[in-house]
Amino acid sequence: MSPVALRDNPKRELWLAWGATVFFYNLYAVVFFVFTHIQPPGQPWYSPDQARTWFSHHHDGLLIGLALIFVFGGLSATSIALITYSIRRMSVSRAFSYSYLIIYSVSAVPGFLFICVALTAGAMRPDRSPQLQHWLYQLGFLSFSGTMGVFLIGSLVWMTAILLDRNGVFPKWFGYLNLCNALTEVVVSPSWIFKTGVFPWNGLIAWWIDVFVFGIYTGVFITLLRGFIIREDFGTGPLPPAPHWRFWATEPAEAGS
Amino acid sequence: MTTQQAATPTAPPARHVPGQPDMWFFVLFESLIFTAYLGVYLYYRAQHQQAFLQAQSHLTLWLGVVDTIVLLTSSWSIARCVEQARAGRYDVARRDAYITAAFGVIFLVLKVVEWTRQIHLGNTFSSSDFFQYFFFLTAIHFVHLLIGFVALGILVRQLSDVKLRSQELVETCATYWHTVDFLWVLIFAVLYVAR
Repeated sequence: MSPVALRDNPKRELWLAWGATVFFYNLYAVVFFVFTHIQPPGQPWYSPDQARTWFSHHHDGLLIGLALIFVFGGLSATSIALITYSIRRMSVSRAFSYSYLIIYSVSAVPGFLFICVALTAGAMRPDRSPQLQHWLYQLGFLSFSGTMGVFLIGSLVWMTAILLDRNGVFPKWFGYLNLCNALTEVVVSPSWIFKTGVFPWNGLIAWWIDVFVFGIYTGVFITLLRGFIIREDFGTGPLPPAPHWRFWATEPAEAGS
Repeated sequence: MTTQQAATPTAPPARHVPGQPDMWFFVLFESLIFTAYLGVYLYYRAQHQQAFLQAQSHLTLWLGVVDTIVLLTSSWSIARCVEQARAGRYDVARRDAYITAAFGVIFLVLKVVEWTRQIHLGNTFSSSDFFQYFFFLTAIHFVHLLIGFVALGILVRQLSDVKLRSQELVETCATYWHTVDFLWVLIFAVLYVAR
C-alpha cells in the first residue's frame, strides 16, 4: 500500500490500535515472564526473609521490566478500545460496549497495576524490614491472581454481545470461548486461601491451566480482531465475509484502484 | 436444470451436528479443561493414595449415584424435548424442558445437602487434599449447571414464541445441557467410584 493510500485509508486508526495491542501483549509476556520473573509467580509460602531475598534476587529485572510497563502499560487501553469498537459494530445495544469498556478499565487497576506498584515499591527499597517486604510481595501476587474474577463479567458481556449479534462481527464459537475463559477466571479465586497444592496463586489448576487457556484466548481474539478490521466496511449492517480466512490475509483491493 | 432437479431427491440429506457447530467447539474445549482438572487430581491421588482413599471414604456413594441418575434422567427429558420440537409438538417439548429444569433443581438441592453434610463432618474446602478437589470440582460443575438454567430459559422462550422459534437454538441449548451431564459423569466416576 502506497503512503498516499495509507493516509487515505479509513482503517488506519484501527490498524494502529491493533498494532499497539500486539505490541502490548508481547511486551507484557517478555516483561512478566523474562525480565521480572513475576510469571510464573513466586512461592506463596515464602517467609518474610525469603520474600526479602526474592526482591534482592529480582531487583534489576523488576526495576527495568516494570519501568517499561509504567511507560507502555497504557497501551493495554488500545485492546479494550478496539474490542469496545467491535461491540459497537454489532447489532446489539450500546450498553454492551459501555459495560465492557468500564468493567475492563476498572478491573485493570487491581488485576494489572497493583502488582506493578507493589513489586516496584519492594524492589526500590530492598533494605526495608522483611515483614513489610513480605506484605508487598503478598499484596502484589494476591491482587494480580486473586482478582481475576473481576474480569469475569467483562468476558460474559462480550460473550452475550457476540451470541446476540446478527452482523457476524465474530464467529459464535468465539462467544463460547469467552464463556470458557470466564469460567477459568473463577478458578483463580481459591488462591486467597491456599499457600500450597494446586490452588495457590502459582498452583497447577489456579495458575498453569488458567494461563494456558488465557494464552489461547488472547491469541484467538487478537487474530479475530485482525479479521474484523479487514472486513470492516464502516456500515451498520452485516459485515462482508472475510476475503481469505488466513492470518496473513491482505485487505481486498479497493474497487477501481 | 430439470435433469438436475430430478436427480436431487434421491441424494441423502446433508449430515450435520445437532445445534450450532460452534457449541461443539465449547463442548470440546470445556471437556479438555475438565480432563486437565481430573488429570491433575488423578496424578496427586496416585502420589498420596492412602490419604485420598481415607478421605474419599467419607463420601456417600449412593448420594453420588442418585445425583447421576437425576442428571441422566434430565438428559433423557431434554432429548425428548428436542425430539418433540423436531416433530412440531412445541407444547409437549416445553413440558419436557420444564421436567429437565425440575431434575436440575433436584440435583442442585442434593448437592447443597451433600456439601452441608460434609462440612458438618468437618470436611471443608481446606481440610484435606481430597476435599479440595471434591469441593472445587463439584462447585465448578455447579456453576456450569446454573448456566444450564439460562440455556433452558432460552430454549423455553424459543419454544414459546412462534416468531423466535429456531430448532437450531433449541438443539444448541440441549447440547449444553448434555455437556453438563457428561461432565458430571466424569466427575462421578473419578471422585466417587475410582478407588
